[in-house]
Amino acid sequence: MKCVATAIIRSNQKVADGIFLASLEAPEIAGQCLPGQFINIYFPETTKIFPRPFSIAGASDSRIKLLYKVIGSQTTLMSGWSAGQKIKILGPLGNIFDIQEQHYRDFILLGGGVGAAPLMFLRDELVKKGIKPYFFIGAKTKAELPVVEDSASHLILTTDDGSVGLKGNVVEHFLRMAENYKTPTQVSVCGPDMMMKVLKDISLPQNMDVFVSLEKTMACGLGLCQGCVVETTSGKYNGHYALVCKDGPVFNIKDVKFND
Amino acid sequence: MIDLSINLGKGLILDNPILTASGTFGYGDEIAEVVDVNCFGGIVTKSLSLEPRIGNPPPRIVETAAGMINSIGLANIGLDAFLKEKVPYLRELKSRVFVNIAARSEEEFCDVIKVLDREKWIAGYEINVSCPNVKEGGIAFGTNPNVLRRLTRKLRESTDRFLIIKLSPNVTDIARMAEIVQECNADAVSMINTLYGAAIDIQTRKPKINTVIGGLSGPAIKPVALAHIIKARKVIDIPIIGIGGISAGADVIEFMLAGATAVQLGTVNFFNPGAIYEILDFIEHYMDQHRLKSLNEIIGQAQV
Repeated sequence: MKCVATAIIRSNQKVADGIFLASLEAPEIAGQCLPGQFINIYFPETTKIFPRPFSIAGASDSRIKLLYKVIGSQTTLMSGWSAGQKIKILGPLGNIFDIQEQHYRDFILLGGGVGAAPLMFLRDELVKKGIKPYFFIGAKTKAELPVVEDSASHLILTTDDGSVGLKGNVVEHFLRMAENYKTPTQVSVCGPDMMMKVLKDISLPQNMDVFVSLEKTMACGLGLCQGCVVETTSGKYNGHYALVCKDGPVFNIKDVKFND
Repeated sequence: MIDLSINLGKGLILDNPILTASGTFGYGDEIAEVVDVNCFGGIVTKSLSLEPRIGNPPPRIVETAAGMINSIGLANIGLDAFLKEKVPYLRELKSRVFVNIAARSEEEFCDVIKVLDREKWIAGYEINVSCPNVKEGGIAFGTNPNVLRRLTRKLRESTDRFLIIKLSPNVTDIARMAEIVQECNADAVSMINTLYGAAIDIQTRKPKINTVIGGLSGPAIKPVALAHIIKARKVIDIPIIGIGGISAGADVIEFMLAGATAVQLGTVNFFNPGAIYEILDFIEHYMDQHRLKSLNEIIGQAQV
């Protein structure tokens, strides 16, 4: 059951340029979390009133991992979190990356920059099921890559400048290797909007299902405000608007439109 | 045990003066895991229309200084789905339930009321004549005195239930609108709905809300709401249900001193879903500190 709880910061370390990995102790919430879900963080300041949603990058019975990028004033404040500090959070929120290991024969995680966050949690769950996924992570440069080594997956790093891993775009490299994937293939994606749009517009290899984790401005995270809608196709949501906080954040890419 | 109850008149007593504001609490069930819904004196549902509405295209919300602008467009499940899916939950609540109704025409309002009148557990209706985000209906009913008079009369003829008209601040003289509502024998006014608001992305030069102009809510509008309540209190005797940026117990006391008999929590449900607990604690403490036996002792008692 989702709830509001006090979380204690246990660690908060810089792992790349502007990217931090934090560990929060929150036993009321942590044990229930599944890959794809997110938490809301409440901030004490009153000028910016919305809580901020963050993908869960990993969870144990008592702890939640967050991988976040410093963008604005709230994430700047987070980068200053010290061990022992208490914060207020709500979770777990949203739907999940549904691992269908009976159906799919290969699993691919495709992350753009800090979008690797929910995929790290998904990797943990896949590994528990004895599955070793391909894990693509792309960034502009080596310094901005949130993960640089991972023995639990087939890790493939890409950078725009070639400073580490393969040079070029992460989507291009993922497609270039398509003939290696056993089919049917489950692809789980999280990254900038542009990355999702590219994946939506290209013709994907056969027998490949793509699930994307979306981000939208949210006021509540609970489906109350109806603010975080995404337009849908005629599929599962009948062309109506779907709520990213409640119906998502994970959608089959076939069901969503990216035209706003 | 401190008595927090308030009397809205017409035999309607709430356990405490705190209600939820329409559109910020769904139909109660969405948030039931997080908050004990029965802690509220009353629940005002999301606006309900005869047919379902899918609402406005994104972007629908944007954060602004101490507030937000929304343009949801009254997205709701419609009367049939409400009766099937929401009634079984709502009718069992200890909190009194008010159904907020939105419509494109007087007839649609009356059609919805006709069906809801059969549901004996409903405490009353709140009529949305102040939504700034829909093309038809909405604010059009609440900004023209003659239109408001005709609608309120018609609604009064159509039901004996407790009838609340939710007023818009986007008018020249809100006190006049409140007066009209009282003249037409509605039972209460709730005020204020959102203020017109806009925001623009300076990089793309695009509006941050799909309809360009939306409704501003949150702590930023609290002083505006208080000013309007003070004006209305001077000319009407029916209860005022205060709305606008309330986020703490002290705000509730302030609204009651200004003349509100009860209040609604709106945007705060998004950024502090447990606010109700802090607010009730504060009010109990305040009553104790000021030796109040009843909250009636402070309604309209600001020295204005």
